[in-house]
Amino acid sequence: MIQVQGLSKSFGKVKAVQNVSFSASDGQITGLLGPNGAGKSTTLRMLYTLLRPDSGTAQVDGFDVRESPLEVQSRIGVLADARGLYPRLTSRENIRYFGRLHGLEGEPLERQIDSLLLLLDMQSIADRRTEGFSTGEKLKVSIARTLVHNPKNVLLDEPTNGLDVMSTRAMRQFILRLRGEGKCVLFTSHIMQEVAALCDQIIIISRGEVAANGSPDDLRKQTGRENLEDAFVAAIGSEEGLG
Amino acid sequence: MKRIWVIFQKEMVDNLRDYRSWTTGLFWAMFGPLMLGGMILLLGNTIRDNVEEALVLPVLGAENAPSLIAFLEQQDVIIEPAPADPEAAVIAGDINVALIIPADYGADFSAGQTAKVQLVFDSTRQSAMVDITRAQNLLEGYGKYIGLLRLSLRGVSPEVVRVVQIEEVDTATPQSQALIFLSMLPYFIIFAIFNGASPVIIDATAGERERGSLEPLLINPLPRGWFAIGKMLSAMPFATINLILTLAGFAAIFRFLPIEELLGVQIGLDIGALTAIFFICLPIVFLACAIQTLIASFTKTTKEAGTYLPFIGLIPSLPGLALAFLPVKPDLWTMLIPTFGQQILINQFLRSEPIAEMNIVISAVLTILLSVIVTYIAVKLYEGERIVAG
Repeated sequence: MIQVQGLSKSFGKVKAVQNVSFSASDGQITGLLGPNGAGKSTTLRMLYTLLRPDSGTAQVDGFDVRESPLEVQSRIGVLADARGLYPRLTSRENIRYFGRLHGLEGEPLERQIDSLLLLLDMQSIADRRTEGFSTGEKLKVSIARTLVHNPKNVLLDEPTNGLDVMSTRAMRQFILRLRGEGKCVLFTSHIMQEVAALCDQIIIISRGEVAANGSPDDLRKQTGRENLEDAFVAAIGSEEGLG
Repeated sequence: MKRIWVIFQKEMVDNLRDYRSWTTGLFWAMFGPLMLGGMILLLGNTIRDNVEEALVLPVLGAENAPSLIAFLEQQDVIIEPAPADPEAAVIAGDINVALIIPADYGADFSAGQTAKVQLVFDSTRQSAMVDITRAQNLLEGYGKYIGLLRLSLRGVSPEVVRVVQIEEVDTATPQSQALIFLSMLPYFIIFAIFNGASPVIIDATAGERERGSLEPLLINPLPRGWFAIGKMLSAMPFATINLILTLAGFAAIFRFLPIEELLGVQIGLDIGALTAIFFICLPIVFLACAIQTLIASFTKTTKEAGTYLPFIGLIPSLPGLALAFLPVKPDLWTMLIPTFGQQILINQFLRSEPIAEMNIVISAVLTILLSVIVTYIAVKLYEGERIVAG
């Protein structure tokens, strides 16, 4: 459960995020949709405690990102835009490192790693060093380390960026699966079709502000457009950044 | 706190697998001993050769001064015919020194006037200094000898022209001359410590950012400053190993090189002194890791970090180099400057001077204090937002 109220953040004179409010429920997929540079990633980065909000509040399962960042961090799994791995460590070691940083250890940790390796169909690369992995293989390791502590809330920043068609399909299946497990899934995308196909709730962000918020049906009603793409354009007020 | 250990462990495994980086660090551990050993060998040989061998003096116009030549030959000088152009030969480095006796020498000498000879040499050539000085002394000796003979013939006492007699009392022992070499030891030791830590630190800080793994790492539920501490700690074993290897290298050189034969002195760098130097330098390991972690955390790429860190190691080690030429007394103020105090203490150990235990404690405490402050700044840096943006 994620609740955001009046969140703002500036970098110098640039107002990256202004007064953004929304909430994302458990067992639902919430999409942050917006053109490049609209403030989606900045919003997410404040949610996962990397940046401090200038004003407003953000809560994860009732814990404030500013007041109790450690509580928030242990309740979220984040697939950030930066997905660097340690090339000299194997997939398993990469995942284990993050598990141990979450305070897991011993038999429970190893079992969790094994089940993730199985789930993501990556046993064949489990004990290989990640140096030279393909984009898809690297992504699997990143996802596994994101979920190693079995977080209730999953934040994904542009999860299908740079993936081929098959990997993109697999990724979407995976997001649906997380919802099936009752998790609160929040992801950003600039691809309209992707958001439309997956999301229970869509938050359209433009120039750092929430331009529209609701289910796909709500959005069509709010903007008076039948087509979701037209609704998107109407919401952000221009055709810039349509993906 | 247990999670700092998790970070430490991971960094150790990661860095040990990056053998290219840490072997580069090891090279610097060997650099000092090899350099010093080479210099001792070279200079030792030069000193020995020059003293033991007879002076070879090329002379142009030897036939003009048979008595001078006879005097020189009596003094075990080997007279050789000089090349046609002695100046060119000295400039070219073919000969160290040459004597030119002009044709009118004989006439002047017989008339009892001052007879001129020319000594050709290059005073900037260090390796020729011994030959030059010997030739000068011999010629002056001959001049004095003839002069005294002439005065005696005229019935004048030689005492009249000898107003002052200089008795030279040189307090430099052969050992203290050799110690000029040893004074460079602290420089090499500190340099080895810094360079042992730097490849590891660069990879763990700037490398982490460059790979894009810093952001996911910082989202893990532990105080961000702990990452700085864990990374800094993981560099310490590498710096410490470099310190041990450098000291072992110096010990090996003093043991296996025939120092006594080469420099005419014995150097008392035994296991006890080495152990003491090791413990004196341990606080520097802390400081080297802390400073480099801080600096490298500010840099955006490993390349950028790689250009800064060598200078960071150079700055504290430079005073050690200066100490070789400008001796400083172990006053209290010197102990208050981290790394400088240790360098003076190391020198004292090498000279077997009495050491004030208080000085060891003061220099250690001050160095550790500075390291703690630098670590605190690094922790604050990791807690801020700048670490993410770079």
